[in-house]
Formats: sequence, C-alpha cells, structure tokens
Amino acid sequence: MAIITVANVSKCFHLRPDRPRSFQELLVSTLKRGPRRVPEQEFWALRDVSFTVQPGETLGVIGANGSGKSTCLKLLTRIIEPTAGTVKVSGRVSALLELGAGFHPELTGRENTFLYSAVLGLRRQEMARRFEDVVAFAELERFIDIPVKFYSSGMYVRLAFAVATNVNPDVLLVDEVLAVGDQSFQTKCFERIQELQSRGVTIVFVSHSLDVVRTLCGHTLWLENGVLREDGATESVVARYLESVRRKEELAAQLKREAQAKESAKVEAPERASDERAIQAAPSPAGRPASPPSVPEATGQREEPSSLLASRRRRWGSREVEIVDVRFLGRDNQEQLILRTGEPMTIVIRYVAHQGVEKPVFGVAFHRHDGLHIHGTNTTLAKFEIPLIEGCGEVRYCVDTLPLLEGTYHLSVAVHNVAETQMYDYQDLMYEFGVRLGPDSQRYGTVYIPARWEHTPGAWSNGEGAAS
Amino acid sequence: MIAKLRELFGYRELIESLVLRDLKVRYKNSVLGFLWSLVNPLLLMTVFTVVFTVMLPNMTIPKFPVFVLCALLPWNFFSTSIVGAVNSIVQNGHLIKKVYFPREVLPIALVFSNFVNFLLAMPILFAFLIIFRVPFTLALLYLPLIMAVQVIFTIGVALVLATLNVFYRDTAVIMEVLLQAWFFLTPVFYPFELLPEWRTLWGMALPVRRLTYILNPMASIIASYRSVLYGYINGSPPEPPAWDFFSRTLVTSVLVLLVGYWVFNRFSRRFGEEI
Repeated sequence: MAIITVANVSKCFHLRPDRPRSFQELLVSTLKRGPRRVPEQEFWALRDVSFTVQPGETLGVIGANGSGKSTCLKLLTRIIEPTAGTVKVSGRVSALLELGAGFHPELTGRENTFLYSAVLGLRRQEMARRFEDVVAFAELERFIDIPVKFYSSGMYVRLAFAVATNVNPDVLLVDEVLAVGDQSFQTKCFERIQELQSRGVTIVFVSHSLDVVRTLCGHTLWLENGVLREDGATESVVARYLESVRRKEELAAQLKREAQAKESAKVEAPERASDERAIQAAPSPAGRPASPPSVPEATGQREEPSSLLASRRRRWGSREVEIVDVRFLGRDNQEQLILRTGEPMTIVIRYVAHQGVEKPVFGVAFHRHDGLHIHGTNTTLAKFEIPLIEGCGEVRYCVDTLPLLEGTYHLSVAVHNVAETQMYDYQDLMYEFGVRLGPDSQRYGTVYIPARWEHTPGAWSNGEGAAS
Repeated sequence: MIAKLRELFGYRELIESLVLRDLKVRYKNSVLGFLWSLVNPLLLMTVFTVVFTVMLPNMTIPKFPVFVLCALLPWNFFSTSIVGAVNSIVQNGHLIKKVYFPREVLPIALVFSNFVNFLLAMPILFAFLIIFRVPFTLALLYLPLIMAVQVIFTIGVALVLATLNVFYRDTAVIMEVLLQAWFFLTPVFYPFELLPEWRTLWGMALPVRRLTYILNPMASIIASYRSVLYGYINGSPPEPPAWDFFSRTLVTSVLVLLVGYWVFNRFSRRFGEEI
C-alpha cells in the first residue's frame, strides 16, 4: 500500500494580471468595462504527473528551476489543490517549504513550536515531552522565549527544522533546507534525516544538490517543465539528468559560439552582408519596390524560443513500450544537437518493450519553435512494418538531405499499437534540436523545397503570348 | 461534508490552542488586561445612560444601564468576532502557505475566543442586575440556548466574510463601516417596542418592525437576551422568548451557518494560492 499516491496530476495557475483585488478595483473595472482587458493566461506548472511512494521510502525530486518541483511538494502538503488528478497522502505530513515552518513573527520560539505542532495535530502533552529535544537540537536554549522576528535566519531555520522533524511525522517533505546553515548544522540535519529514515519515516526530498540526493534517496523523480521525464532508481535518473544538462549546455555554447562568429563576421564586412541580402531578396514583382526580406534576427530571436513550446511539453501513455532515449545524428553518424541543412540527419529512438508487443507503430512529428506543425509521420504511413518487439531496441528515422532551414525545432516521438487504440508512450515536444544553414546554402523560410530555375528568352511557352 | 466535519472535529485541539493563544495575547497574562476589555462596554453604557436619561430625558426606560448593558455585551461579542474573523485568514497567511489544516479552524477559533471573553464579562452584567434589583427568573435557563444561537449565527457570517476578504482585501474596511450601520439598525440602545408597526416612505408602506426582525437576525437575538435578562420596558419581569419567534431565529442562524460553511469550503482550496 503506497503512502503517497499521485495520479495524473496537473496544476494550472491562472495568471490574470488585472483581476480586481478589492471591491474598489472591482467597481472601477466594471465601470470601465471594455475590450482592453488583459486576457487570462494559463501556466501549467505540472502536466499529467503520476507516481507513488511506498512507506519508509525516500524519494528525491530533481529538475531545473521552474520544472515544478516546489509545486509538486505543495500539492503533497495540500496547501494547493490540483487542477486535475488526485493526490493521496496518508498519515501526518510535516513539511519544510522554502525554509520555513509557518512561524508567526510576533510569537516566541516556544509559542510557535507549540502552535505548529498543534496545527499538525500533535497533542500538547506530546510536544511538551519533546520540547527539550527541539530546543537542544536547534541550539536555542537562550533564545526560545524571544519572538522569532528577532531571530537570525540561521536560528529560524534551525528551529523550523527541529520542530518539523520532531512532530513525529509519517511523511516529511523537505524543500532545499540543507542549503543553509553552517557546516556543523548541515551535518546534524543530515544525520537527523538518516535517523528518520531508519525509523521508517517516508521522506520526499527536493534538492539541487545531486550528491545529497544520491546519498539519501533510493528512488528519484526528474521533472522537466512540469512533465515527469524519469521515475526510477536514483543512480540512473541522476545520470540521465546530468546527460541532458550537458547536452543543453553544449547546445547553448554552440549557439553562442556561432552567434559570436557571425557577429565578428558582420563587423568585418558589413557592406557585403547587406548587399548579399538585397540580391537574395530580389524575387519581388517588378514595379513594386523590393521589400526587405524578413530575415530572422540571427541571435535575438533564438535566445529563448524554446520557452514558448516548453510549457506544452507533455508525456503520457500506458508505457508497455517506453521510449527511453532519443538522439540526433548528423553527418558521419556523429551525435549532434545542431544539424545542417542539406546534410543527412538520423533520429535514433531507443525503446524498451516491457512485454511483447506486436506490430508497434512509431511516429515522429516536427514543430517549429513557435508551434507550427511542419511534418508528422509514422511507420504505418511509411508502410514500414515492425514485427513483434520485446526488450530493448532501436528505431531510426533517416533523412538523407535535411530540408529544414535555420531555426530551432521540437520533436515529438510516440509509439502506439497498430489499431491506434492504445498509446504506449507519447512524448510531446520533448526533444529540441537546432538547424544551421550549410556553408553554401543561403535561403529564407522554414523548409528547403528542392527545385531548379529555368529561363526561355523571347517567347512565352504557352499559346496565349503569340496572339500579338 | 460528513468527512469534512469529522476532520474538523479532529482538529479541536488546534482550535483550543488558537483560542488560548488569542486570549493570552489579549490579556497579556494579567488581570488588568481583562479589566481593560470591560472598559469599552462600560463606557458606552455610561454614555448611553447619560444621553438618554439626562440629555434626552423623553425616553423613559426603567433601569436604563442594565437595559443597555444586556444588549451591548452580546453586540460587542458579535462585532469584535466579525472584525477579527474577517482578517483571520489573511493574517495567518504564514500558516496557510506552509501547512495544511482545515482553514475554517481560524475564523471559528476567533469567534470562540471572543465568546470566552463575552462569558468572562457576564459577571459584571449580573452585578448590575443585582444592583438594579432586576428579578432573576427561570427564564435565565434560556440564556445558554440564546448564546448558542448567537455563536452559530456569528460563525456563519464570519466564514463568509473571511472568505470574501481573501479575494477582496477591502472587505475588512467596508465591514467596519457596515457594522457601525448595523449597530444603529439593531435595537441595542433603544427598545424594540418603540419601532413603529408601519411607516410610509415614498408612498410605500413598510412594516418596519417585521422587516427588522426578518432582515436582521441580530435584532431577534438581542431581543431574546433582553427578554430573559431584563424583561420589558413597561417593567414586566424577564420571561422566555416566544417559542415560535425564537425557533425562527434558530432556523435562520442555522441556515446562515450552513451557507457560510458551504461558501467557505467552496473557496478555501484556493486560499493557498491567493494569499
């Protein structure tokens, strides 16, 4: 029986910058009701996340900033409620969120300790019995009867940690608490957490410190942009997370290098660059002035295009077949994150079939950074039949000459059954790659349409022209 | 709903410690602090007595100080509860954002701590009853029942207003003005019997007395207190409130509580995000 069950949970925050916050504002906004209202914005902090935690287990949660880790913890404490799905946590839940336990600044350390334990449903006498321990652990003997507003941040965190771990919790939720405090206190906290582990307390631990996660957690979740990327043994999840961080950094570094190279090239020959542009733009009808082509800004636009689609990333499916890795190979079958127009590209999809699946269908879809769906296909459409699969394997989608032009693109991959009634794994927009133009292919737009130009001087090829 | 109530019951110890905390802060552990809380009703009682027996002697009400005090204390209980409860959720944002507990605990605890305060002031009222030789009758047995009805009604109103204040932060300010108006519209320092049966306003005949009873449950509650503690202004001794009148008040209060609880539960899940 799982002690924490999170089933298909999504959390959407509605961002309405102009929602009236008082009756006064309400009155004003109804009086000048008009079309100027800022439309409501949605922000999906979590999308379709499911996991379970067994009693006594310690779960790590990792991911970049903004990936939904803290939202996930808040949902577990029931401070906020999910937009969809269910969260079930049994037993007493104690939490250290954002370095605080919910102390009232005006009350003394002693009063806050009792208030907090009462809020968690601990009997007064029980807290009275443990009170000495709390004070000793927090090293606050001299200051326990002083209002907490006079505490230093270190004292505050020490007391919060001492109280939260001393209320006899069944589940302890910890958000980055070990990052503060001096070395000796960190060690003490660490030991206390290990002691709770040995007593069978279930712990959910959010941290950026992968070392701590490796030491404490047997099982780890990796959240990315609100989607559960991985859920499994800590070692392998952390390894894949590091791999993905490395890839992202590489991509960013490569983009930066290219931007810098371009920048310096521009400085050297600004005249030439603009000349070339004009020539390239020539195919405008005669008589009208040649309008400057809408060349994508080399760097500015590409700094953060992924954020647009990143919030739409989702993963769902029944996972009989799981897609565990997707790689992009460029020329010479080298793994690359930036590919070149006109060169070969191979997408390698590694899967694990947890049971025998007959005639699975693999699909891919390409989207531009702004969401434009460029191309989508699957093995059935290509009349490529895969017989029974079981265990691990690899599917390759090979493009001989990549027709995509310069830009950032998102790839969705999916695997489902032949009747399309069962989705095993759908990873929507989860992979990102960049495309740069080849050395001698200056073109504008999104895709390269293979074609050639022809010219016949002096006559029109169809009959109409001959009338004069 | 049943599960929610059971959960709330499980948190009764929290309500208890919140009430204790509140009283502790209010009295700062001293007798003087308690006496201080009696100054307001006693001062108001003196002012009303001076105004209506010395400055405006037309209103001939026997034993005027008792007449006022036995309405003033319940009214103070109501208005301080409302003013406090409106802010209770927002003021405890530090807890709401960090820990889960049934949020209704906060306004309920506030009403109860004011109720304890009200009970502690009762001896003063009884002292006045003795000084002014108001006879104690069996009608006093109704007192706990009337108090219960008032607590029910007050919690109902408090739940709605506490919710409203989370989303519209000037609710508290507006409520202070409205409470003042409510005070004057409730027969606290004037007798209910002086209200006219009918009054014509802009060509419309209004049953003033009936309307007051129907629209203002506090008027009925105050009238009940006065009837069992003080009696009537014609000098007749205290007696139990008419049962049909009293049961209507009870039903209204229970309805207000149910609506309040429903509204609160409907929106309390969003408190964590709004604060």
